[in-house]
Amino acid sequence: MARSKAILIDITKCIGCLSCEAACKQLHGFAQDPEPKLSTTAFTIVEQHGDRFVRRMCMNCQDPACASACLVGALKKMELGPVTYDSSKCIGCRYCLVACPFNVPRYQWAKLVPFVTKCDMCYARQAKGEQPACVEACPVQASIVGWRDEILEEAQKRILTDSKYVKRIYGSEEVGGTSVFYISDIPFEQLGFASLQSQPMPVLTANALGDIPTVVMVGGGLLAGLYWITNRRKLVALAEAEESAAESRTGKDPHHV
Amino acid sequence: MSSIRHPKITFWRTVVAIIFLAGAYAAYARFALGFEQSTHLADSQPWGLWVGLGTLCGVGISAGGFALAAAVYLLGFERYRPVIRAAVLLSFLGYLSVIVGMMYELGLPWRIWHPIVMWNRRSVLFEVSWCVMLYTTVLSLEFSPSLVEKIPWVRVRDLYLKWHHQILIGLVLIGAILSSLHQSFLGGLYLLAKGKVDPLWYSSYLPTLFYLSAVPAGISATIMAVYLCNRSLNARVDPRLLSEMSQIIAPMLYVYALLRGVDVVTHGGAGYLFRWREETLLFWFEIALFVIAPVILLSQSKVRNNPNTLYGTCALVVMGFMANRLNVSITAFQASSGFYYVPKWTEFALTLATVTAAGVAFHYAVKYLEILPRSVPAKNWMTTHPATA
Repeated sequence: MARSKAILIDITKCIGCLSCEAACKQLHGFAQDPEPKLSTTAFTIVEQHGDRFVRRMCMNCQDPACASACLVGALKKMELGPVTYDSSKCIGCRYCLVACPFNVPRYQWAKLVPFVTKCDMCYARQAKGEQPACVEACPVQASIVGWRDEILEEAQKRILTDSKYVKRIYGSEEVGGTSVFYISDIPFEQLGFASLQSQPMPVLTANALGDIPTVVMVGGGLLAGLYWITNRRKLVALAEAEESAAESRTGKDPHHV
Repeated sequence: MSSIRHPKITFWRTVVAIIFLAGAYAAYARFALGFEQSTHLADSQPWGLWVGLGTLCGVGISAGGFALAAAVYLLGFERYRPVIRAAVLLSFLGYLSVIVGMMYELGLPWRIWHPIVMWNRRSVLFEVSWCVMLYTTVLSLEFSPSLVEKIPWVRVRDLYLKWHHQILIGLVLIGAILSSLHQSFLGGLYLLAKGKVDPLWYSSYLPTLFYLSAVPAGISATIMAVYLCNRSLNARVDPRLLSEMSQIIAPMLYVYALLRGVDVVTHGGAGYLFRWREETLLFWFEIALFVIAPVILLSQSKVRNNPNTLYGTCALVVMGFMANRLNVSITAFQASSGFYYVPKWTEFALTLATVTAAGVAFHYAVKYLEILPRSVPAKNWMTTHPATA
């Protein structure tokens, strides 16, 4: 598999200037007013927790719950890392919103032809070799982008060499790993990060889906077997009835029923 | 006929008319104004009443068709044959109403066909959509003789009925498997929402629990439907048959309750069972309605053998079932989303109108087709010589 890209967000470096948010809005043609939460017109936002700033965006999971949920495959994990959304496939079921462990996708509730919206790590730009708009706009390199393995190495180096960091890279293990990593000097729980399983989310449904052949074969076989017995009983009863009828006709035993 | 007969204005017709009017406005709000004007859905509660009540309950309550078809055709419970057509019709209309519900539930309903050509085999919803498509086809075929036997062209009719007779067992078998799969997979949808669903409802056995609860609810709904036909449409089904049918409900609820109890405890819900919070109250409301009350009531032959109390008990089972589905789809998400979802009246109105339409269709089908044995024969509609299949 080709190498994939990832973003590292260093919470200790973010100064809360909102340049990333502005660049994202500009790229997508949204109005330039800062928003407190992710929305259909804000694919990345900066939250303030005490004197720390935490930038939120789609985590672009390695094995995304949304992509496994989407019945028509509109959401897709690309080899390059981003999780993209093909609006031409979407039927508007919103299962991706239910599935996402990070509560990232947003729905255009106010529109008559509503679509799902979310950050796709600027897939189009990255495919051309450019950086995501938010990363490019960061004046202090609080967000950096690179090959996923190298970015992970860089994060590892920072948390090991500088004692101020919490010894944890958020996103390296959560739900099987993501394409966006966070490092911080404050425990992640205090910054509103969810504690998640290390298992990829789709594993939860894969087991159930794996049972389909068993259900079909065992259930089908069982029902077919039961029908065979039922039918056989019917046939035997019918044959017996005919036999006794024939006997009564030949007058051998007219009183036998 | 020289004089035009105007329909009489009766109480129920007025009620139905009001429901349809409200539903028509709600449909206008949904399609002309959008979700924001017609629902209280939000990003943190993307599935609300239309999914919880319309889809989950609609499909679940329609489980009677496959259960009775399997009982009669595959397991040889011939004595239930008089109600089989009513059960299949109820399921068929149930699934049709679920599909109609999809048309306003989906954001882009004109793309409802996409799953036929765009596949994602990893998606539980994909499997559900295929099972629902296929099973609705099976149900329409299972139901078709009721219509076909009214065709006045004897040759065509007999040819079809003969063909139908040959494939019927296969249809019933496929139908039972498809039903079992998607009844459980509706629960499987919520497996992916681990961490969002309250511990009183989240479980890796959600598919099994959904399946085990749908069957008694479907049978209860069938009993209710036949009771109502006996009462107001001159149907003549022996009440003892319904009473006998109800005897399977309590054992099913026992099995469900046992698994549910073990499951809640082993999946970390034990600590929540006796906490003073809305979720816990609604959990016990659901358990009392769906399991405790019906099990006690159905254990008494006095209750089972009186058609009125039997009807009431079956209504409890159906309501308890609905409480369960609404709890899974709405209550269980409240704490994690931090959003208190109360459906807008237009959400109620559209679902109610859809269900009412199915009820009206059921009424006229029983009246004009040979669905149930009746003391007043079915109106001679289309042909004066209905064949009997």
